[in-house]
Amino acid sequence: MREPRNPFRLRSSESIESHSTFLRLFSPGVLGLLQKDGSWNRVQIFRSAPGGGKTSLLRLFTPDSLLTLHDFRAIEEYKDLYNELKALEVISEQGPQVLGILLSCAKNYDELDDLEFDAVHRRRLFYSLLNSRIILAALRSALILRKLNYPNDLARLRILRPSSAHIPSTIPVPCSGLDLHNWASSLEKQVCNAIDSFGSPQVSPLIGQDTLDSLILLQPGFVQLDDAPVAQQTLLMLDDIHKLTSVQRRNLLSGLFDLRLPMGVWIAERLEAMGSEELLAPGAAGREYDEVKLEDYWRREGRPRQFERTLADIAERRARLNPEVEIGSYEGCLQSSLDGSEWEDGFSQALQAVSERIRKRVGATRTYENWVAQVESATGTPRERAIKWRVLEIKIERESRKAQRKLLDLPLPEEGLEEQELSTLKETAELFLASEFEFPYYFGFPRLAKLASSNIEQFLMMAGDLFEEVISAQLLKQPATLPPTRQEDMLEQAAKRRWVEIPNSVPNGRDVMHLLEAICGLCCWETGKPNAPYAPGVTGVAISMTDRAKLTDPSVRGGRQQFARLANALCSCISKNLLEASLDRKQGSRGGEPWMIVYLNRLLCACFGLPLQYGGWRPVKLDELCRYLDQPFSPPRRKGGSK
Amino acid sequence: MRANPGRWSTYFLRRGGDFHEFWREYLNSTNRNILFVLGLGFDPRMCLGYDAVLQAGGKGRRDCKVVELDEGPSSPSLRHSDLTRANGERLEQLVPDGSVKTDTHVAMWSKDGRRVGSRVAANLFSDTKDFADYTDLVIDVSAMPRSVYFPLIGKLLYLEDSSYGRDIASRPPNLHVLVSENAQLDANITDEGIDDDASYVHGFTGNLETEGAAGAPKVWIPILGEKKGPQLERIYNKVLPEEICPLVPMPSGNPRRVDELLIEYRELLFDRLRVEPRNFIYAAEKNPFEVYREVYRTVRRYDRSLKSLGPCQVAISALSSKLLSIGALLAAYELKEQDVGVAHVESQGYYMERQLDTEELKSTELTTLWIAGDCYNE
Repeated sequence: MREPRNPFRLRSSESIESHSTFLRLFSPGVLGLLQKDGSWNRVQIFRSAPGGGKTSLLRLFTPDSLLTLHDFRAIEEYKDLYNELKALEVISEQGPQVLGILLSCAKNYDELDDLEFDAVHRRRLFYSLLNSRIILAALRSALILRKLNYPNDLARLRILRPSSAHIPSTIPVPCSGLDLHNWASSLEKQVCNAIDSFGSPQVSPLIGQDTLDSLILLQPGFVQLDDAPVAQQTLLMLDDIHKLTSVQRRNLLSGLFDLRLPMGVWIAERLEAMGSEELLAPGAAGREYDEVKLEDYWRREGRPRQFERTLADIAERRARLNPEVEIGSYEGCLQSSLDGSEWEDGFSQALQAVSERIRKRVGATRTYENWVAQVESATGTPRERAIKWRVLEIKIERESRKAQRKLLDLPLPEEGLEEQELSTLKETAELFLASEFEFPYYFGFPRLAKLASSNIEQFLMMAGDLFEEVISAQLLKQPATLPPTRQEDMLEQAAKRRWVEIPNSVPNGRDVMHLLEAICGLCCWETGKPNAPYAPGVTGVAISMTDRAKLTDPSVRGGRQQFARLANALCSCISKNLLEASLDRKQGSRGGEPWMIVYLNRLLCACFGLPLQYGGWRPVKLDELCRYLDQPFSPPRRKGGSK
Repeated sequence: MRANPGRWSTYFLRRGGDFHEFWREYLNSTNRNILFVLGLGFDPRMCLGYDAVLQAGGKGRRDCKVVELDEGPSSPSLRHSDLTRANGERLEQLVPDGSVKTDTHVAMWSKDGRRVGSRVAANLFSDTKDFADYTDLVIDVSAMPRSVYFPLIGKLLYLEDSSYGRDIASRPPNLHVLVSENAQLDANITDEGIDDDASYVHGFTGNLETEGAAGAPKVWIPILGEKKGPQLERIYNKVLPEEICPLVPMPSGNPRRVDELLIEYRELLFDRLRVEPRNFIYAAEKNPFEVYREVYRTVRRYDRSLKSLGPCQVAISALSSKLLSIGALLAAYELKEQDVGVAHVESQGYYMERQLDTEELKSTELTTLWIAGDCYNE
């Protein structure tokens, strides 16, 4: 098959059919999510919004991927990944050491709850169906791992009966793989026929199990080939468990925790599996399992740089997949500076305009004399000097708002701002200048990484658009570097597309859109205040944890329809990564009431000209948020924002 | 698989002027007791079919079973509840004396927030006794979503087929499907709140969900229509086929329609999914039986070609007009035992961007398909 024209369009892990391609595109940096020890005898739960990378992570541990990686381990492109997995003891020079069994739960399990059987029978059917499928997936994986043919070589496998555990007599172990396969396949068909039939479901009351018996059979040593275990470790990976009913999910998790088997079980689910109570509630990993929320992992302190590096690696790998596009590096295709000669005039004019404004404002007063002199004497490119003048304008605005009035018109001393504060003000000034004088702002790889909002699929979407431009430029024999203006145009188009598709593709789409529009309006108003009180800008809102408790309390929600609407809209926003939730946050260092902060997806920030940094948020009341479902944001009647 | 060309290789279809002529002749030839099943919704076409059949005259009952869809309190369709109410009132006025109107509620969601509409729709008729008093069943799909009329019609065919031959004296009723087509109106109605994940329609899953058949090659036949990009992607992610054979409507009233579809889906089909251009299938825009025939032939061809690799699985997706989707339904029903399923994506509800005026509505064309009964029986 021909190589993909734009490799960034190969988005979901499932659609990358070639194992070697999948491995080439997989960045080893993602493995930082995993604990270095304890992965093989605990339950781990991975959660994220769609496109967060869960399925890709699980696919890496399947026999096909591990065998391919082992075969290619000497090739440069695969070495890093091989070494990372070797360090995790998943693979060695002898080959894969783990029997990875991947099973998607996005099948017809939930329809069992619609059959007219009692709850006990339905639970037994659920375990039957799950057990039969786990066994079928395990047999297939075992044959692949040992490079045998499925299903022709099933008879070569032998499955033993563990003496230390009770296995129902209906499961025909000890037996050959073929016998077990036939048993499981027949069981699965019976249940599926009952689910899908137009006639009345006919399922023998005899079939059905009460627990996850299949997992007992999968412990290392009980699946054998030629009298030897197929693998030293077993890893069962259940994907998409958000597609189970809540009862099934509870039964599955409690079944797993009760068994406490010495094998790894990884579970992947989307955030919407968490009911509004869970989504709005603090995540709690118990003693029985470890929990990783992928977006939260990348957002934790120190990780954003790591995420950026991982994205850079992903981008390089993808770009190399199309050999016809000859570029040095993907990052290098994105011009990231406005200090070129083509921008000098623009920044000089901006500098002129801002400095004149300041001089007119300060007039004959001496208060800011030293500050002005400090900036006048500064050196640097026109862009750097324009930023300094704009920073000065913000500082003057802040100073002028201070309540304390000076009796004498004495010059303020030259200010040596702290590094952090200066950096923040510079970022604000850059945003203000970009808005006022129409300089590009959303360009360069670091900002592209921020716009991804910790979601790999979102990054691939934007990076793919930019790569499309690179391909076009090569076709036209033009330089394959994108200027900042073009990058910003494309990213803003991507942002608008994401915005416009919200009513179509998000549950409660209209409420979600109204809510987000109002939050963006509030953020723009706050960010645009001339004194930039929340520099570099406000990109989120927060509700108190007390208010959050009202939204998660079914009795309170039930009594107020608006609360129910708001809860549903917020859940849709969070599960689709339109809002990023952060819980139990305190304002400042002295503590105080804890908050649930919801930040806008960074791509939505690009829709509304907001900065991409985190940190700036404003508290809101529940009633105010409820109002936003039906009314747009309107600035309160006091000093407001204007740049 | 059958050696002959298929159950509906010869078929009965009438549209436009022929529609009215057929029903006039048909209903006036003998007494006929008709049960007319239609969906209650805001679509202005809702009552057109029933009205047209009533206008055709004839003697006998003209009972009406109204399927009221409960899409939940967040459904975007609720914005048009005034139109829905008006349609309901209009229908009440149409039901003639001596005929009965029954209302049936179909909950699209279970109490725990899962999709159950397809299964509930299939259970609207559970036994042949439910229509024993009728000579004809007419299912008007104009105001029904696919997730409702696919299992509904599938179940009726199943009941008819399972009862046929048992008792010559009580032959099952004739089964007709009625569609009111108006391309302008269709373009004005958009899905909102599309589900993240696709699923298989109840009754049309085949072996596509089984782990036992996990290694079997899969073929996907999406019937393309406009503005269905997100649905296509999500269905693809569900089916994960080895081969894709898009079906496009040609010939079409708009001679550039296929070009426009390919432009709309260029990136998805050719860049991301890497569809082979020679895999495209063509079927006339207004003939669902041609869709049926082409799908049937395609499935048989792949089955023959891939025999050595094991049984081939096929998923069909109807993303075009309701008329063409009937063709997909018939193919899926006939090939149900041969690992053929129907994959689709549901949405929270629908939104009509603007109401068509009377002149625009006049271009609505009625089509009737006779899919089971006297004209097929030996």
